[in-house]
Amino acid sequence: MTGLHSYNITIYSEADIVTARQIGRNLSKNLGFGTIMQSRIATTISELARNIFLYAGHGNVLIEPLEEGERVGLRIIASDSGPGIEDVRKALEDGYSTSGALGAGLPGVKRMMDEFSLESSPGEGTQVVVIKWR
Amino acid sequence: MSQENEDIYTRIVRDYLKGKREDQLYLAQQLGKWLLSRNISPEEVTDMHANVLEHLGDVPEFIQDSFQILTEIMIEYGNAYRSFDSWRSRHQQLQAEIAIATAMQQTLLPETLPQYPNVDIGMISIPAKEMSGDFYHFLCESKSEFTVAIADITGKGIPAAMCMSMLRYAMDSLGEMKLAPGNMLRHLNSVVERNIDPCMFVTMQFGRYNTAQHVFRYATAGQEPGFLYRARENRFFDLEGCGTALGIAAGSEYEEREIYLEPGDFLILLTDGVTERKIGRYYIQREELVSLLEEETSASAQEMANHLYRRLLLLSQFELPDDYTMIVLRRT
Amino acid sequence: MELMIRENSQDGQHLLYLEGEIDAYTVSKLRDLLLCLVNRPEVKRVAVDLSAVEYIDSTGIGTFVAAMKACKQTGCELAVQNLSPRVERLFRITGLYERMVPHKGESE
Repeated sequence: MTGLHSYNITIYSEADIVTARQIGRNLSKNLGFGTIMQSRIATTISELARNIFLYAGHGNVLIEPLEEGERVGLRIIASDSGPGIEDVRKALEDGYSTSGALGAGLPGVKRMMDEFSLESSPGEGTQVVVIKWR
Repeated sequence: MSQENEDIYTRIVRDYLKGKREDQLYLAQQLGKWLLSRNISPEEVTDMHANVLEHLGDVPEFIQDSFQILTEIMIEYGNAYRSFDSWRSRHQQLQAEIAIATAMQQTLLPETLPQYPNVDIGMISIPAKEMSGDFYHFLCESKSEFTVAIADITGKGIPAAMCMSMLRYAMDSLGEMKLAPGNMLRHLNSVVERNIDPCMFVTMQFGRYNTAQHVFRYATAGQEPGFLYRARENRFFDLEGCGTALGIAAGSEYEEREIYLEPGDFLILLTDGVTERKIGRYYIQREELVSLLEEETSASAQEMANHLYRRLLLLSQFELPDDYTMIVLRRT
Repeated sequence: MELMIRENSQDGQHLLYLEGEIDAYTVSKLRDLLLCLVNRPEVKRVAVDLSAVEYIDSTGIGTFVAAMKACKQTGCELAVQNLSPRVERLFRITGLYERMVPHKGESE
């Protein structure tokens, strides 16, 4: 067992984004991720939390350690009940969302993580789940 | 693998710090290319550099810490780079699709020119990009008559090419009816008007050449006028015609005109890629085009078409911003 | 080359003043504005002043065609005015001139 527990951060402000980043960075460090991966995880949390902050107003980021046999990893679940993404396939296309638009940074997040899933329906909100294995 | 990269990197830094020579920097440049080819991201390079510093001696804490900032920023650069990479592969895929579509488009255009005694036909059609918005069509109807069409579809590229296939099929099915030019355009207009995107249209000149009587009867739909050359007077005239471009308004009517060609006379049909040529800051005038043509009046139809294309290309410094098509019909 | 659009409106009458070149690169701006205007029920008439437009290509003409077609549905009136000789020639050749330029004495 990693002996580490999960964190649920409510995102209301940019300060909350920073808190989530910090928690993600510390947790990934404690899980034994290298320095670059720690930063990438922080960046991922940043992007997901910013999408919540900018487009949904508020939402949640859950960061949890994972253990599957020998494998150790980290899961991030970002959820909100904001406007949702109209065309998910498009949002994940590189260059579709310019910086500042909803979903910006998602292609980057998808590339940095090992597993990525996104559920969104217009008007009902968005949930992004990503996993990075060590 | 990353240990191997790091070892090379360490060696290069170490050597450079001792020698500070240009050849060592050259080596570093080559290393950069190699790292790129292995998809090593900027943040990994940053990290490598931080590690190398630690191998070289005591690194002050503030330098070590400052690498955190660099890493954060390089992650953004890395993401941008990787997204560029995926754009590149998508671009290649699109290019391949366009190549196939371009080949398909070629099948819509005739490969050979009609052969009739006492008529010399020349033609040139060069697309500005891969796919052309210029269309031309010949149909040999009988021993003495053939039809010719020249058309320009709004815009260029893929949308124009898709419209072209509609145009070709419509012309094929109408071709059997041996319609008078005005009627042909009227029918084509109703097909195009119903099936085209509202902001697109097609300009066309369509005519029938009777090689026994050397009469050319034609109608025009918004097409840039071509030229008629009268050998006896050694003069060029505009191949006038009026009629609304295809696809603009339902029920448009097209007036027909008739020209009798004497030996040595010729007709030039063209698209606006020929006339709308920018040379430096100004557009070439029709009179200038005529003076270029005047030097070619003794050439064969095909030579005339080729020569004018080359002359204009030279004048516009090898820029071809628009699809270019010219058809020459000369009574010999 | 840029395309600048200035807009004046009064009592459902809109005047667009265009400056620059209308080609494949600049046309989307004009198309969006023009189609949006002629589709609005309160807009009765849209006039486009082209005196400062030196160049228009077929995609530019196509935008006016699309707006004209939209006007047929909505009943909005669309007109172009003050065409430079080059631009006028293109409007005449394609057959758009008599459809979009008000006859003298009619209005304006």
